[in-house]
Amino acid sequence: MFGRNGRRGTAAGAVDGGAPHEALRLVKVTKVYGTGGAEEAAVTALDGVTLSLPAGSFTAVMGPSGSGKSTLLQCAAGLDRPDSGVVMVDGAEMTGGSETELTKFRRERIGFVFQQYNLLPTLNVAQNTVLPLKLAGRRVDRARVREVLARVGLADRMRHRPDQLSGGQRQRVAIARALVAAPSVVFADEPTGALDTRSARDVLGLLQETVRVDGRTVVMVTHDPVAASYADSVLFLADGRLVGQLNAPTADAVAERMTHLGDMYEAEGPHRAPHHDPRNSAPMGV
Amino acid sequence: MFSLAMRSIRQRPGRFAATLLSAFLGATIIMMFNSLLDTAGADGVDDVSSESLSTAAMVVGGYGSLLVFFAVASTLTVAVRQRTTEIDLLRSTGATPAQITRMIVGEAAVVGLVGSLLAIVPGMLGGRILLDMFQDSGQVADDVDHAFGTIALMSGIDITLLASVGAAFLAVRRATRAREQRAPRRRLRTWGGYAALGLGAALCVTGFAMGDAGPEAMAPPAYGAILLSVGFAAFSPALLGGLLRLTGGLLTAFGGGSGYLTVHGLRQRAAQLSGVLMPMVLFVGISVATLYMQSVENDHIEAAGLTQSVDDKNLETLNFVVVGIIAVFACVMLINTLYAATSYRSREFGQQRLAGATPGQVLAGVGLEGLLLTLTGVFFGTLAAVAGVVPFTVARTDDVLPSAGYGIWLAVVGVAAAATMATALGTARRVLRTPAVETVALAA
Ligand SMILES: Nc1ncnc2c1ncn2[C@@H]1O[C@H](COP(=O)(O)OP(=O)(O)OP(=O)(O)O)[C@@H](O)[C@H]1O
Ligand SMILES: [Mg+2]
Repeated sequence: MFGRNGRRGTAAGAVDGGAPHEALRLVKVTKVYGTGGAEEAAVTALDGVTLSLPAGSFTAVMGPSGSGKSTLLQCAAGLDRPDSGVVMVDGAEMTGGSETELTKFRRERIGFVFQQYNLLPTLNVAQNTVLPLKLAGRRVDRARVREVLARVGLADRMRHRPDQLSGGQRQRVAIARALVAAPSVVFADEPTGALDTRSARDVLGLLQETVRVDGRTVVMVTHDPVAASYADSVLFLADGRLVGQLNAPTADAVAERMTHLGDMYEAEGPHRAPHHDPRNSAPMGV
Repeated sequence: MFSLAMRSIRQRPGRFAATLLSAFLGATIIMMFNSLLDTAGADGVDDVSSESLSTAAMVVGGYGSLLVFFAVASTLTVAVRQRTTEIDLLRSTGATPAQITRMIVGEAAVVGLVGSLLAIVPGMLGGRILLDMFQDSGQVADDVDHAFGTIALMSGIDITLLASVGAAFLAVRRATRAREQRAPRRRLRTWGGYAALGLGAALCVTGFAMGDAGPEAMAPPAYGAILLSVGFAAFSPALLGGLLRLTGGLLTAFGGGSGYLTVHGLRQRAAQLSGVLMPMVLFVGISVATLYMQSVENDHIEAAGLTQSVDDKNLETLNFVVVGIIAVFACVMLINTLYAATSYRSREFGQQRLAGATPGQVLAGVGLEGLLLTLTGVFFGTLAAVAGVVPFTVARTDDVLPSAGYGIWLAVVGVAAAATMATALGTARRVLRTPAVETVALAA
């Protein structure tokens, strides 16, 4: 699970020959929202995105609000189906089949960390952590679970329920849950978006550690240049397209690039500038 | 805060559909039966007609009202409990518990009132049909006209309002109290449960002593069965917990991921499920009790060496119709409450799916849960029914148990199980059509 000893066995159909091993590949991935409705204009959230990430890399994805970052992550992670294009994880192609097929595909290869944690409120920390294994019908090794939770610093909180934890602690449980099945790629959508600086640093450190120590691949969406600086490289997204890349990023360089991107974005795309993402607003009507 | 309540209702009418439906149906049934009292009290009604009408209204209308009260209350409880997130949000925006209470209780009052007003016309029509049936069975003179007066109107509105407002008040009080203060509610529930059980048992026992009374001897045991059902429903979380302790290992071992979800989800939600169990226990309890009592009554007539006269036959039909109305009501409430409770879980299902559950696993988990609910509901409902039927049987015949066999019981249990499973699975299927990512984002 956190196997320090030896490499992870190659997943079905994975290629091990060419170096470096490719963990994630997207080819011309396109996603359009709202095509069906006549009254709503269609929004091209992803516009032919092609990218390739080597195994053991830590990549940050940045871009203005509404640029398609969440859509990109969800399409790559099998939580959403692209309208066209190819997604390959760990050498296996994700086919746009039923939700059941996609779920089974994800179980083997993908972990996901959400900004809002998405822990099950009725399960305690240990139960939340082992849930993916239980659902996949895999054997649960108690010592391993303890090890995973110790790694995120929560070994003494196993019996606590999520509502008894702080935001930072919840996010660490979510990370433990994403890692427990030893996926090859871990996606994180603004994992530090709801956290204070210190908890955010803990979370980023953990993500970095899974890359450095376990050799997993991490793709993280963030709005924070400091968070992005933990990554090996930053991909910039605007208007559903990849518009740049920065290797070995520093927070200053990222911030600089983002300002520039904002200018470009405003200059180029006034026709779809103020996108309102319904999922980021609080619809909690009274 | 009352204007806030009105705005809240106007903006999301769909959310109040379940509570409105329960208030409407409940008020309709109460008005229907109690209009017989108005009819009986009208000028120029002969004594015999008046007597039969009042008896029917007191007996059936009485326990019908009791049942309506608890069914409406349980729907309201489920509905308010679903809004904990919203209540928490209001609290964190600075609303005081008193303000929140006024809002939720205000909403419940508006919904209860609208439901009762809507019920007036159907209640009138229903009352007229009931009166026709009494006239056809010869118990009421043909020249009696149906009247719909203050008794029907006031009892319908009062009972519905009291049930809605009372349940909303208790539920919101629990929701606005911080987590550490759970004890008072538990105590209230426990005492209420004991009171219902004690009263119910007492009523059932009086059934032993009523051998020579007419068909109205059915009333005390029937009241008793309802009160016992209510009392059992109050304690059902504990039994559900016990059932889980017994079967938990088995379920997780053989139920795979779904069993795991069910066992751990139910353990935490057991208290909330009593809202769904209440109508189920009431349905099983009242249907089984009255159907067997009627069969005992038939045996009694036979044993007395009488053949069923046309009047007896008519009376039997009338009884079945009346019991049928009440049973259908309880069953609709079961479906209604379960539907509301299940559709509310879309976020939870979404989180399960995001954690790696296939739609099939989510459905299997819901199915298992429905099965455990049915087992618990049937167990308690049967217990309550037996407690009512046995005294009546002993009083009316030489036996302890009715001679009718298991057929009736099986049929009632079949209906309860089918309604539970179909509602739970059907609703869950519909909920699963929304992509998982959207369901968890909606309530964020
Ligand atoms: N379910 C949906 N239905 C319709 N449009 C959507 C949906 N989800 C996203 N969009 C639109 O697609 C575009 C990209 O959205 P996305 O959520 O990927 O942006 P984002 O880069 O993650 O933004 P943010 O930084 O605010 O999270 C936006 O214009 C958004 O309004
Ligand atoms: Mg986003």
